[in-house]
Amino acid sequence: MKRVIAIAAVLLVCAAAVAGAAEFPTKGKSITMILGTSAGGSTDVGARILAASMEKGLAANGNRIQVENKPGAGWQIGLTALARSRADGYTIGFTILPQTITNYLDPERKAVFDRKSFQPLGMQVVDPGVIAVKAGSPYKTLQDVIDAAKANPGKLKASATGILSDDHLAVLQLQKLTGAKFAIVQFDGSAKAMTALLGGHTDLYFGNVGDTYPQAKAGEVRVLGVMDDDESKFLPGKTTFSQGIKLESSSSRGLSAPAGTSKEIVDFLAGAIRKAIDDPEHMKKMEEQGLTVRYMDPARMEKYWADMEEQIKPLMGMAKEK
Amino acid sequence: MDTFSSLMMGFSVALAPTNLLFAFAGSLFGTVVGILPGLGPAAGTALLIPLTFHLDPTGAIIMLAAIYYGSQYGGTITSVLMNVPGEAASAITCLDGYQMAKQGRAGAALSIAAIGSFIGGTLATLGLVVAAQPLTKVALRFGPVEFFALTVLGIVLVMGLAGKSMIKALIMAVFGLLIGMVGMDPTRGSPRFTFGLTELLDGVGFIPVIMGLFGVAEVFENLQEEGQQVIETTLSSLKPTAQDLKASGWAIGRGTVVGFLLGLVPGMTGTASSVLAYVAERKSSKYPEKFGTGVIEGVAGPETANNAHANAALIPLFTMGIPASPSIAVLMGAFMMNGLIPGPLLFKEHASVAWGVIASLYIGNVILLVLNLPLIPLWVKFLKIPYTILMTIVLAVMMVGAYTVSNTVFDIFVMLLFGVIGYVLRKLDFPLAPIVLTLIMGPPMEKSLRQSLEMSQGDFSILVGSPIAATLLAISAIILLSPMFKYAWKRWVSQTRAQGA
Repeated sequence: MKRVIAIAAVLLVCAAAVAGAAEFPTKGKSITMILGTSAGGSTDVGARILAASMEKGLAANGNRIQVENKPGAGWQIGLTALARSRADGYTIGFTILPQTITNYLDPERKAVFDRKSFQPLGMQVVDPGVIAVKAGSPYKTLQDVIDAAKANPGKLKASATGILSDDHLAVLQLQKLTGAKFAIVQFDGSAKAMTALLGGHTDLYFGNVGDTYPQAKAGEVRVLGVMDDDESKFLPGKTTFSQGIKLESSSSRGLSAPAGTSKEIVDFLAGAIRKAIDDPEHMKKMEEQGLTVRYMDPARMEKYWADMEEQIKPLMGMAKEK
Repeated sequence: MDTFSSLMMGFSVALAPTNLLFAFAGSLFGTVVGILPGLGPAAGTALLIPLTFHLDPTGAIIMLAAIYYGSQYGGTITSVLMNVPGEAASAITCLDGYQMAKQGRAGAALSIAAIGSFIGGTLATLGLVVAAQPLTKVALRFGPVEFFALTVLGIVLVMGLAGKSMIKALIMAVFGLLIGMVGMDPTRGSPRFTFGLTELLDGVGFIPVIMGLFGVAEVFENLQEEGQQVIETTLSSLKPTAQDLKASGWAIGRGTVVGFLLGLVPGMTGTASSVLAYVAERKSSKYPEKFGTGVIEGVAGPETANNAHANAALIPLFTMGIPASPSIAVLMGAFMMNGLIPGPLLFKEHASVAWGVIASLYIGNVILLVLNLPLIPLWVKFLKIPYTILMTIVLAVMMVGAYTVSNTVFDIFVMLLFGVIGYVLRKLDFPLAPIVLTLIMGPPMEKSLRQSLEMSQGDFSILVGSPIAATLLAISAIILLSPMFKYAWKRWVSQTRAQGA
């Protein structure tokens, strides 16, 4: 009899555990979405749009998505908070690439996390890199720029948006691929870099489709290449690949949970995120800002992340040398 | 269509009842964002973006724009009443605004600030209407080299902030520069003076430092004095006197010019504008030694400047689609999410939206003035709260405010530490204004210097390579050396006299 009771108890506990897992998320409990950047940036606005769509999907269960800005140290503060939070599914956050990778690959930053600290949940946006010049610039093609840079090494001024930003890595990669040498000027943010380009203070702008789109559409800048294999629907035409330069770079926004989150919870969250991304309202708002929505499921995002890490490693030394 | 008829069309859009309501809602919410320390206009606007999805685009943008410039009005209230900057751009207003409140003249300070803000904001919008294109051309000439020269000029002006002792002022200026050095190096990304703390990689936050130096230090100082009296405010002192108005007239004029010009320069912050406007007031005053004791020009100048700045900074957004500050970036996001791309095309493709928003800037400024002036007696009543309770409220508000800036407890500790530092500095009679100036101008000065040298690959001659930069540096040199020349001249004159006699 005792045995029967014991077995029954074990079964009950198992059932409760299964039920508990199936019950994620508890009705009415809110989910925190950590964002390592301050309120008001393009990533923040994109996150809030996604959060609104996610809430719509979870409305039946009454779960709210609370966007929590933890800005600072080029995402390191927010990423640290995410990596250290409980793996119970109630805290998720944005792990943007390549920023997250350069955070832990840079020894000076002493980051407490790496790729293994996060469980990918899904990719929202992949914003391809762009090389642009001011309208009226003598450089018409990427080749013109490379030829000019080779003829006068270090004379052509190329802007990037901060040390080890995706734009900075793109300049370094272009130098590595072609042997050209630029004077790299760091700005804090794409708006300041764009202003410098339009004012004629720099010759080349390294940015992303999303931040180049308004000026490209107004004819203020000429896009020399989108750093992708596929054509961008916002800036169609020239890709770097179509010009024979295999330069691929982007800034991508994906969501992750802390590592160790159970598979059931990951599946649930990944499903909720996918549904929110497919929401026509989310799609429309993102596209109007020139942001390329490119959904990836957790497995694909994980591979994308690992591949990018391998690609960046050899550039790390170059970035800090003078 | 000429500018005038376009603007009239804009007014017909902005005066539509729903749009008026949006302008009012935005102004009100903006004032609240301004009053609350820590919550800045960028965050305030971003919070409302999801709410605007289902609104008509013109109304949504009118509302978000009103939050942006409305916050500049609200920031003053906290600065004057609590000695805590509600908004970074109102930090310098603490110096004289709070002293005025202590003398029972908070009403006059707030009225002048509201009037100055109105005039500054309206004139800057006029600039946007009549000369946006040429102004943008001039603004774009400010690259890293020119920006560096401008910050040098700003820092040199610190001498104008010296009180009784030049040495003490300079020590404080260097202290401000040193605080600004904490964090990641702007071009190499190497941590400096961070003691291994991730929280310090971005440097020490301006808002927590200022809240500490001014607000917390003030609370500490009040703790010492037993039996503090409630500030006496008579009704007549709610309004500015004729003398106040006369003194403020020129200050408002100067504040408009300073704020408008700096607002055009890409990368200049409203805080820099208000601080430099304060310096300008002190420099041009007949009684500079009285600044910091409750001089109304010290409120009128900076408060006008930050509003002129806020409206002038919209010019690059409308002409080129360039967001000059994080708050304007949010506004730009709102445009784009509604399928409108700020820039020259906006006026061609969506003229009624573009001009409607511009017209609403005028209307919003009127709403803010009408909204703020009658509320002043109410705000001033706040000071009637007994000191013991008032100081507790102030401290609690500051704690929440410091936390709100980046949602970290770390900033609360930074604030408290600087509260202690501020207390000690006050006791030793060190002036605080120079710290504010160098803390604001130091980091962008370093950044633009490094950018310039990156552009030239290390060649320093680039710094005088442009006419604007060379002129600004020459003016700085003249200001810096003029006391020496004056001294030499006086000596020479007295010597020749002595020889003659």
